[in-house]
Amino acid sequence: MAEMWISMGPQHPMTHGLWTLKVKVDGETVVDTEPDLGYIHRGVEKICESRDFTQITTYCDRLCYASANTWSHAYIYAAEDLLEVEVPERAEYIRLIAVELQRIASHLMWLGAYGPDIGNLSIMVWCLREREMMMDLLQELGGSRMHYNFPRIGGVKRDLPYGFAQRARAKLDLFKQRIQEYESLFDESTVFLVRTQGVGYSKAEEMVNHGVTGPNVRAAGVDYDVRWAHPYSVYSELDWAPAVERSSVKGADCYDRYRVRVTEMVESANMVLEALDRIPGGAETHYESGDPAIIAKAPSRAPEGTFGSHHFEDSRGESMFHIVGGGEGRGKNPYRVSIRSPMFITIPYASKCMIGYKVADIPAIMGSFDPCIGETDR
Amino acid sequence: MGKRVSAEAQKEAVSRLLDHVTSIEGVTGEVLSRTNGTQDRNIANIACEPSAWRTLAETLKYDHSVDHCSMITGIHWPESTDKNWELVYHFLRTGVLDPEITESGSTIIPRITDTKKMDPDAIPIEIQVNVAIPETRTPSIASVQDIWIGADWNEKETWDLVGIDFEGHEGMRRVLNPHETPPGYHPLQKQHKLRYHGFEEMYDDAQGFLRKAPDSGRVK
Repeated sequence: MAEMWISMGPQHPMTHGLWTLKVKVDGETVVDTEPDLGYIHRGVEKICESRDFTQITTYCDRLCYASANTWSHAYIYAAEDLLEVEVPERAEYIRLIAVELQRIASHLMWLGAYGPDIGNLSIMVWCLREREMMMDLLQELGGSRMHYNFPRIGGVKRDLPYGFAQRARAKLDLFKQRIQEYESLFDESTVFLVRTQGVGYSKAEEMVNHGVTGPNVRAAGVDYDVRWAHPYSVYSELDWAPAVERSSVKGADCYDRYRVRVTEMVESANMVLEALDRIPGGAETHYESGDPAIIAKAPSRAPEGTFGSHHFEDSRGESMFHIVGGGEGRGKNPYRVSIRSPMFITIPYASKCMIGYKVADIPAIMGSFDPCIGETDR
Repeated sequence: MGKRVSAEAQKEAVSRLLDHVTSIEGVTGEVLSRTNGTQDRNIANIACEPSAWRTLAETLKYDHSVDHCSMITGIHWPESTDKNWELVYHFLRTGVLDPEITESGSTIIPRITDTKKMDPDAIPIEIQVNVAIPETRTPSIASVQDIWIGADWNEKETWDLVGIDFEGHEGMRRVLNPHETPPGYHPLQKQHKLRYHGFEEMYDDAQGFLRKAPDSGRVK
C-alpha cells in the first residue's frame, strides 16, 4: 500500500493542547513522524526582558497550568542564584511542601487525562476528585487555585496557615489509601493493560542523549534525579529515594511510565508528611508575611555581566532558567531570560518512539510521556 | 538523611575535568562556586573560541562522558564592543547507563546509585560553556546535533528566536514562530521592541489587521 502523511492535530484528543503531529503511515503502521509546535507561542522570554524580577514570577506560573508551582519555583531559584540571596531554612521547607503537593496534583492531572486517551473514562473522574484535595491545600498556601504566585525572591509569600499541618496530614493519609484503590482499578483493567503494555519502548541511555529526563528516564530502571544529583533546597535532609521502575529488557513501556508516576506520588506524599514534622519552628507556628524567618531581603537590581542559572526537577523532567542581568532600568530588568522546557525536548523524542507501532497506539505512547503544551511553546 | 552528591566530590570532579579540557587551544575555564539556597554548588564554567568549539564538544562527550545537553541560550549584544553574539551551552553529566540484565535475560536490575561509592569520573556535574562570536551580521557556529541528539531542537529554537546559524545542522526550520515568518526576522534580537496597544486601538481593530510593527519597513 502507498505511504501517506496524515495530520493529527492541531485539534485532536491525543495532543493535550495545540500542536500537530504529522504521521507517515503505511496502512496502519507508523513509518515516520514530524511534530509541529508553536501554536501557542506567547513570547514569554521577550516579555520578561521588560519586566522586573518580581513581576516575572507571575509569567512563569502561567507556563504550565497543570504544574504552576514548580515553574515559578524553577524561576525563583535561578533568580536567587543571580541576585545571590540566602534563603531561610523554614522558607525552603515551605517551598518543598508546595512543590511536592504540586507534583502530586500534576501527576493526577496527567493520569486523569491519560485514562480517556486509552478508553477508560472512569480514571479521569477518580483522579480529579483526589486532585481537588491537593488543590485545596495549595489554595490555602497561595490563595488561588491554579496560578499561585507563591514563592518570592528570598523566601515565600506567606507562612503555613493555622491548622494547615493537621489538614494536610489528614488529606495525605486519605490520599495514600485511595492510591491503592487506583492501583487495583488500573492494574486489573484489561483495557488499560492491553493498551499500555508492550508499546512505546524506550531505553535510558538513549533518552538521556535525546535530552529526556525525569520520570520518563526513571521508568527505564535508572534512579537519576536532579534532586539528589545537583542538590538544592532541603531534599538531602529528608529520608527519601526516587521512584524507580523495574522495566523490561527492551526498555520502559507505557505501563512502566504509568507505574513510576504512581510510585512518585506516594513518595511525594511521604516527603510532605516528613517535612511537616521536621520544619524548623514547627508546623503549627505562623509567622506574619515578611517576617525574616520566612523571607530574606533581596536586592532588586542585577548589574551588567552577572548571570544565574538553576537545574530544577519539574514534574515532567529537568526544567531550567538561565538569566542574564543588566537589562533596562540600570539592571532592574533582566537582559535575557532563557527557559529550558523538558517537554519541548521530549515531544520530538516521543514522536520518534512511536515509529513501528500502529496508529491506534499513538495516543497511548504520546500520553504516557505527559506532554504539556503551555511550557513547550512558552 | 536522603542521598545527595556532596559538594566537595563535585568540586573535585569539576577541577579534574577542567585540568584536561583547558589544554585545548582557545579554551579557558574556572570552577564557579555558588551557594544554592542552602546547598553549595560548583559549576565548570568554560569560555571557548568559536573555532575550538567542535573539538571541545567532542572531548566533553567522548573523553568525559558528558551525556546530556540541557539548554542552548543565544544572546544578542548589539552595543557590546568585543562580542556581538554569545552562546551559552548548559550540559549535565548524568552518569546514566542502561540497567543490567539478569542472568535469565528476562528482567533487569534497577540501577540505584550509591552516592558514597561513585566512580570519580561519573559524578554528576554541571558544565556551562560560553562561546562569544565577534561582530558580524551573519553569526554562525558549528552544530553539535550529531554529538548530542538533544541539542537538535535546542539549536532549532536558538536559530528561530535569536538568529544564530548552526553550520552542519540538518533539517533547520522554524519551531516556535509561524512557518511563514519572513526570512531574517528573529524576535529575540534587540532591535525588535515590545509594543503595547491602546484601548481605542484594540476596540476599533480587534483583529489587528491595521496594526503595524514599530520597525516595519526598516532594513533589518
